[in-house]
Amino acid sequence: MKKFVFPLLAAMTILALVAACQPETVTVEVPVERTVEVQVEVPVERTVEVEVEVEVPVEVEKSLVIYNSYMSDPAPREADAEQVRMFEEMYPNIDVVHSTVAHEDFKQAIRAYLTASTPPDVMTWFAGNRARFFIDKDLIMDISDVWEREGWNETYPAGFRAMSSVGGKQYFVPASWYWWAVYYRADIFDQYGLEPPETWADFLQVCETLKENGVAPIAIGTKYRWTSAAWFDYLNMRVNGPEFHIDLMLGKESYDDPRVLTVFSDYWAPLIENGYFIEDPAAYSWSEALQFLINGEAAMYLMGDFLRDSYPDEEEANLDFFRFPIIDPAVPVGEDAPTDGYFIAANAQHVEEAKQFIAFLGGVEAQQYFADNLGRLPTNMEVDTGGFTDMQKKGLALIQSADFVAQFYDRDTTPEMADVGMNGFMEFWDNPGDIADILARLEATRQEVFAEE
Amino acid sequence: MTREKRLSQLTPYLFLILPLIIYLIWVIGPMFYTFYLSLTNWDGVSTPDFIGLRNYQRLFKDPVFYISLKNNLKWILSFITIPVVAGLALAMALNRSIPGAKAFKASFYSPLVLSLVVCGLIWGWMYQPANGLINATLRAVGLGALARGWLSDKNLVMWAIIAVGIWRQVGYVMVLYLAGLQGVDPGLIDASKVDGCSGWLTFRHVIFPLLTPVTVIVVVISIIDSLRAFDLVSVMTRGGPYNSSSVLANFMYIQAFNNYKMGYGAAISVVLFLISLVFIFIYLWRVLQTEMEY
Amino acid sequence: MTTKKFFSSPWRTIGYLVLLAITILWLVPFIQAILTSVRTNDDLMRRGFFSLPTEISLQSYAEAWRRGGLEYYLPNSFIITIPSLVLTLFLSSLSAYALARFRFRGNRLLLFTYIGGMLLPFQVLMLPVFRLTDALGLYDTHWGIIAFHTAFQLGFCTFLLRNYMRTVPGEILEAARIDGCSEFRIWWQIMMPLTLPAVAALATLEFTWIFNDYLWAIVLLRSDTLKPVTAGLATLQGQYVMDWTVITSGALLATVPTVLVFIFLQRYFIEGLTLGATKG
Repeated sequence: MKKFVFPLLAAMTILALVAACQPETVTVEVPVERTVEVQVEVPVERTVEVEVEVEVPVEVEKSLVIYNSYMSDPAPREADAEQVRMFEEMYPNIDVVHSTVAHEDFKQAIRAYLTASTPPDVMTWFAGNRARFFIDKDLIMDISDVWEREGWNETYPAGFRAMSSVGGKQYFVPASWYWWAVYYRADIFDQYGLEPPETWADFLQVCETLKENGVAPIAIGTKYRWTSAAWFDYLNMRVNGPEFHIDLMLGKESYDDPRVLTVFSDYWAPLIENGYFIEDPAAYSWSEALQFLINGEAAMYLMGDFLRDSYPDEEEANLDFFRFPIIDPAVPVGEDAPTDGYFIAANAQHVEEAKQFIAFLGGVEAQQYFADNLGRLPTNMEVDTGGFTDMQKKGLALIQSADFVAQFYDRDTTPEMADVGMNGFMEFWDNPGDIADILARLEATRQEVFAEE
Repeated sequence: MTREKRLSQLTPYLFLILPLIIYLIWVIGPMFYTFYLSLTNWDGVSTPDFIGLRNYQRLFKDPVFYISLKNNLKWILSFITIPVVAGLALAMALNRSIPGAKAFKASFYSPLVLSLVVCGLIWGWMYQPANGLINATLRAVGLGALARGWLSDKNLVMWAIIAVGIWRQVGYVMVLYLAGLQGVDPGLIDASKVDGCSGWLTFRHVIFPLLTPVTVIVVVISIIDSLRAFDLVSVMTRGGPYNSSSVLANFMYIQAFNNYKMGYGAAISVVLFLISLVFIFIYLWRVLQTEMEY
Repeated sequence: MTTKKFFSSPWRTIGYLVLLAITILWLVPFIQAILTSVRTNDDLMRRGFFSLPTEISLQSYAEAWRRGGLEYYLPNSFIITIPSLVLTLFLSSLSAYALARFRFRGNRLLLFTYIGGMLLPFQVLMLPVFRLTDALGLYDTHWGIIAFHTAFQLGFCTFLLRNYMRTVPGEILEAARIDGCSEFRIWWQIMMPLTLPAVAALATLEFTWIFNDYLWAIVLLRSDTLKPVTAGLATLQGQYVMDWTVITSGALLATVPTVLVFIFLQRYFIEGLTLGATKG
């Protein structure tokens, strides 16, 4: 091995030198507007100047901010691009270099982004535990000054502020969130004289009636597993209360606790065994399973509000939602309301621009746009909710009346625990009788995962 | 003379220096780094802590490791049998002047043009239980009872994915055998026919032995491809439902990039690498044996 | 044999029909992909696969092209693929020549190293290579990803070219050596022309592999302006939404360049696949 060390180092140095002379050529090759950034590095670049003249006649010097986003679904993606456009209009001397990465891949790439010497300046991310991990590793920039300057300490609800703070400093900007609920086909409910159920008994009755009439009561597509985690979140919160649920997520309670077992054996298993879910859910992604709801083959779907993005507009009139039924009235009500937002990388290259951009993203104008056009809920209390649709108002009320708001299973616990946990849910789905063994395994994983922390 | 000799001894190194440096830096270096990482608890962002063989201890206790290993074995067994037999049969059938031979050949190796990701997407859609082609066909011909959730049944899913691999592999094996048949002297075949050998006997005792070198390569390539299986599983099921279609490469990927257990992921790769190494040794040993004229 | 004569035997005819049936079955996935891509998702989901499409449209292709940003990403794919291809073929022909034609200490070890590197599950190299690329200042540049592809493909190319070069009769090279040719001239003027079919074949395979790469693109590049077409296609699969017709159309569109290369070099391709087989 030693033999290799010297040539290796020598070659690295040479290559580094070669590399140092390269970057300009690389950017020039790319025929996209955004190459304006070249100007910073190469002051006399005629061709680019022509382009600039067309777009922004007066501006000579532009600074930039690099923004990587995981909003890859069609509707959010358009809204995201529009926000960038709005920002560039407001700050003509800042150019946003915007990249969109497929959602799943973004989650994998983020560790490379954050540890790169030239990371993206601003990135999208999940609020809560997942952001906390990077904050603890000093990879996210303290933006308390932005919070102070923008007056967010007053205009953001305390809950969102707490979600973004570690040790009294703010690191994150929660920007939009959505609610989870049981979506249902109002026309099918009417047809069989059903009312949205409020209690567990009512819910079971609704399922039974639908099933008798040949309609699959509940649609679900568990190919990518996380949809089953929603059922666990809700059942566990309704049966054992949100406090217990969150402690379980944080590794403070154990999976082999009899209270957890009850959730599966007394509530979840009967739903599966009675055939209240569609057949073969593991074969479908959540959106493939949505077709059962659209076609009227199924009547209910526990899902986040992004469901409406995919629902055909012309048929949305038949779609409504209700709060996940209450199982034990003595237990405080918890809801899932995942929150997405933005942060600045700790070693961002364009700090001032990034702060301006993030101030814009967390500000009233951007949030208003997101709320109005995408139907998500804003975090900033100054956003005008007057123009909200009935759905939005209802969703807002749903979450506001909750005693506790959780993020979501795979956001509230660690990625590894979530991976093993969701596999456990899927296994339980196929073999409800094995739940005791499955929970014993989850417990073993929990001990391992949280012992390391 | 001695100076000249020394120079000529240097020549191969001159040819090698540039490619080798690049290879050492970008492949071998990171490879050794991976070995080192497998002894740490690296999460991708923090400083790695040395934890000795803990990752390996954990791995050998992890049930998913054994599921994955078993799936890789299923993959190997399927790959060294079905495509080899089918590819050889096709090569025998098409290695003569039959009408449209070229079109037949092209049809069988066309799946190779598609990337594995595209194959996975296309087949994922074929297997779709409600509207996919396979179940739709079964229902249309009155065999609806056979319709399955091909990718959601834990007992079927691995075979369903392997079938896609086979679909792609058969053409490859066929082409390899076709090339091998080019090297078979037609005179030998004629001679055995004159001796009164039936078609099967000729194949069994004359042609097949002559194709042994091809068969060896086909088997080795198939084994290595099976061990590296990743894309199809990743696109079609991500190892689900609950790990029942997990293979080692996917298991590693999920641990490293989904669960951010880079150290653990590295340990899985090292084990996978060592398994592959066994087959490389066998292969190299054979190749080098036939090259004794050095 | 004439067609007529061929079909004169009933067994042969039956065999032929069986072969034909299998072949058609083999092509079904392609056919279904193409059929899917010209329908609308709604139509497909509501009416099932065997319904007659209510309308045939190329709309999903347009959608895939637009949403996948293919016109921005495609040039990048070529900017990455072609230099990687040229470099890796050039460099591997150098090392293959040395390994095929010279006896020296470490020959076997080096061959083994090349093959070993080719067999490592490459996904695991991702973060080490990312670290390296970043340290060299090549992160988020085309050179970073070109360097990696070049290096990583060296193993396979060297291995195959070495096997091919060993089949070239030694006498030709000896003759040149006696005429006083330098080894580099022998390599360039005698060996390379003889190896050209193998190089062309490898070029086909390597083009497909590098062009279809996605993993490395997302690890070594962060800017959309630099990413290859596979990254654009990946964004068609959103967090929540799965539109089969658009995804299928995108996948088919992305296959076009590799199909073209394949058709163009088809003759060599078959020969190329056999490199290891008959010559090993």
